Amino acid sequence: MSTMLVGPQRGDLTAVSTHPATILGKVVARQASRSGALWGLAFGVFIVTQTFAYTSQYKTQAARDGLARAYGTNLGLNALLGQAKALNNVAGWAEWRFIGILTILGSVWGLLTATRLLRGEEEAGRLDLFLVGQTTQRAAAIQAVAGLGVGLVAMFTAITAGTLIAGHLSSVGLTLGQCFALSLTLVAGPAMFLAVGALASQLANTRRRAAAVAGALFGVVYAIRMIADTNTSVHWLIWLSPLGWIEESRPLTGHKLLLLLLVLALTITTAVAACWLAQRHDVGAAIFAGSNASAAHVRLLGSPAGLAVRLVRSSVAGWLLAVAAFALLVGMTAESATTDESGSSGIEHALSRLGRHGSPVEDYLGLTMLIVAVIVALVAASQITAIRGEEADGHLEVLLVRPLRRTSWFAGRVALSIFVLVATGVVGGIGTWAGAATQHADISFGSLITAGLNVVPPSLLLFGLGALTHGLWPKATTTVVYGYLAWSFLIELAGGLIKMGHWLLDTSVFFHMAPAPAVSSNWSSAAVLTGLGIAGTVIGGLFFHHRDLQNL
Amino acid sequence: MAVPAIRTEGLTKRYGTSTALCELDLELDPGEVVGYLGPNGAGKTTTIRLLLGLSRPTAGRAEIFGFDCQRQTVAAHRRLTYVPAEANLWPSLTGEETLHLLGRVQGRVDLGYREELVARFDLDLTKKVSVYSKGNRQKVLLIAALMSRPDLLVLDEPTGGLDPLMEQAFRLSVREAREHGQTVFLSSHLLSEVEVLCDRVAILRGGRLAEIATLAQLRHLSALSVEATFGGVPPDLSRVPGVVRAVADGCDVHLQLQGSIAPLIEALAGTDLRGLLSREASLEDLFLAYYGPSQVLDQDAPPAVVAAGKSDLP
Ligand SMILES: Nc1ncnc2c1ncn2[C@@H]1O[C@H](COP(=O)(O)OP(=O)(O)O)[C@@H](O)[C@H]1O
Ligand SMILES: [Mg+2]
Repeated sequence: MSTMLVGPQRGDLTAVSTHPATILGKVVARQASRSGALWGLAFGVFIVTQTFAYTSQYKTQAARDGLARAYGTNLGLNALLGQAKALNNVAGWAEWRFIGILTILGSVWGLLTATRLLRGEEEAGRLDLFLVGQTTQRAAAIQAVAGLGVGLVAMFTAITAGTLIAGHLSSVGLTLGQCFALSLTLVAGPAMFLAVGALASQLANTRRRAAAVAGALFGVVYAIRMIADTNTSVHWLIWLSPLGWIEESRPLTGHKLLLLLLVLALTITTAVAACWLAQRHDVGAAIFAGSNASAAHVRLLGSPAGLAVRLVRSSVAGWLLAVAAFALLVGMTAESATTDESGSSGIEHALSRLGRHGSPVEDYLGLTMLIVAVIVALVAASQITAIRGEEADGHLEVLLVRPLRRTSWFAGRVALSIFVLVATGVVGGIGTWAGAATQHADISFGSLITAGLNVVPPSLLLFGLGALTHGLWPKATTTVVYGYLAWSFLIELAGGLIKMGHWLLDTSVFFHMAPAPAVSSNWSSAAVLTGLGIAGTVIGGLFFHHRDLQNL
Repeated sequence: MAVPAIRTEGLTKRYGTSTALCELDLELDPGEVVGYLGPNGAGKTTTIRLLLGLSRPTAGRAEIFGFDCQRQTVAAHRRLTYVPAEANLWPSLTGEETLHLLGRVQGRVDLGYREELVARFDLDLTKKVSVYSKGNRQKVLLIAALMSRPDLLVLDEPTGGLDPLMEQAFRLSVREAREHGQTVFLSSHLLSEVEVLCDRVAILRGGRLAEIATLAQLRHLSALSVEATFGGVPPDLSRVPGVVRAVADGCDVHLQLQGSIAPLIEALAGTDLRGLLSREASLEDLFLAYYGPSQVLDQDAPPAVVAAGKSDLP
């Protein structure tokens, strides 16, 4: 048998792209639009189901007026979602609720997506592959930003499908223009934070750092908007926050859509700055690259525990600072927020689901401590994913091939995490007290320390869930932890407004936490959360001990 | 009799339905330098991760100096150090800080030797790991492993990122380790490296131990490598007794011979033979012989040779 091999695969250069210079943009566009469409779809489903729930639960005008009276001046919800103006009609309700919730989630999507697709790719060295082609760094950045724009359009399309369906429910009746205006407002936050993420990707040299920079900026503008919305005496602060511009645009009731032009201008400026800066650093490096070399600081490097402290200290310091600043601001404004006329009437209803409540200041702080609880839970999620990250990045095996027990390493990281969680909660309490003390508010140090400790058990439960996942199915740790946190947060937000089955509310970890200092802490519930968290951690640790180490 | 440095009994690892390592029985005496060879995916890394207690075996057991690798890991790890194929280190630490940490966790460091190694491998310790190349990260882990002067060095393809100069420094360090009576278990794909460093070679194939022997014994098993050149199309020599592998390349035939050369000389009589070259088999020849001519033809030979070879071997 004689074979003649003719190689069609060899030596035959086929043009695989008609425009090789735009290939990077296409790659980014494909990934961004997949993720944008997915999130947009989730947002659309949220819009449709929530609108349906509103119209079917609050059928009569009387019922809607009741709702507006109960929640319209609810300071906690105003703080979280922005000022509610007209909850007694579907347009006012939809605009407040959807812009409030989805701008937060969409902005987080934007900054995570931009930093992942820009800095993440550059950090992984994949950008080099494109840059050896026919592209300069600036052109590459322009393409990438354009790709992100495509992702935004995908999100807009999916959201618009949602607003159109919701708007055409017989009981709603929004015009086509109103649906589009709402959709446009809903993607304003994501657009701005895509651009912020792109800029942060040029400033910081790792994806984590870039996301942290963008996240910190989001935290600042969100906090400013929150303070402005809870305190009429400083309501002008809202103009300092782009999230405030989005809130004030009120596309369905106020028609100040022109404010979105401001957002657009800021977005474009930021994106242009990102593209301009891209040319001003080496590929793989960043504008603020940090130093490449340094003198050895070995004080903490004598043991794995010391190493753990060294690895987490800067991110923990960031969290503590953020919580302290937030708590201080909240404490300082608590008195004026609750003596304000509109505030005191609404606060009566703010904690209606809890029955008993304390002084207006205590009620207000109960709701703000709920936000501290969410932050502490975020810290818990970041701690357990950092523990998994050590293994995934292959760092852990460098330690574990030495005379070090796996369980001791794990126990050390758990102990450090628990310490950090308690510290974050306590800092939240002390910060609030210190802020309130400057205004001579009548609230004791002890009750706020207690309130600070009170927010820790939910985070312990979340940590335990993460540790259990880490033991059984390590690759799913991040997804499970952040997924459950997002779920709990959404249920908590939605539970404040739409009547939900108790079993559904029960699935949110925050629902099991009494909002101290508004009410006294529910220690038996806290003990159950803590116990479950510890059990999850111990069982997860045992499974971790017996399984294979798994790198990414 | 001394306790073996490494001993495995029926060591087996399955991932789902695929078997990465199958009933491995291996014994290394203290002071031996043993090469661990095998093509990609043969199960070398799997073996090493089981020895280190990073993975759990499906069946069988392993011991390091008599300590069970799964239950007495800390005692076993006091006696060994390890260099992985991929050097993953904390990017925020400098080289100096990393060495300090790893020395502390290991619990013992020969500081004088450490300085010598840093100079030998020409490593700038003030730089952060994040700006090190792959080779430099590999050097950090090599220095960390060698500076503790462990009784056993477990090395998994440790020279992947090193340039030829550093490869020499590495070989020098392994020889020094041998002179100190340290045991070395060296997984490698660099046959020349194994050839010059190792007393014994273990060859792994598809998760099974195909052979473990000294280089001399292996050479005896496969005595000669022969290259015959013909005036025209070469005859089929694959059926000649003693020939274990025959690859045709135009007018040349490369032969791997086991046992006596006489039958081959007989078979060549009367052919259009133009030249004959024979030499002692290199480890590469041995290695290729273990992985069979069919595999070699499929994977390594360019298509043209396959065509020529096939047309001539009915
Ligand atoms: N974690 C894992 N999950 C599934 N299969 C694996 C895993 N690790 C290794 N394998 C498989 O086991 C086999 C042996 O791999 P490995 O020991 O890494 O080979 P080598 O180091 O010799 O190149 C390969 O087929 C590989 O795909
Ligand atoms: Mg390997």
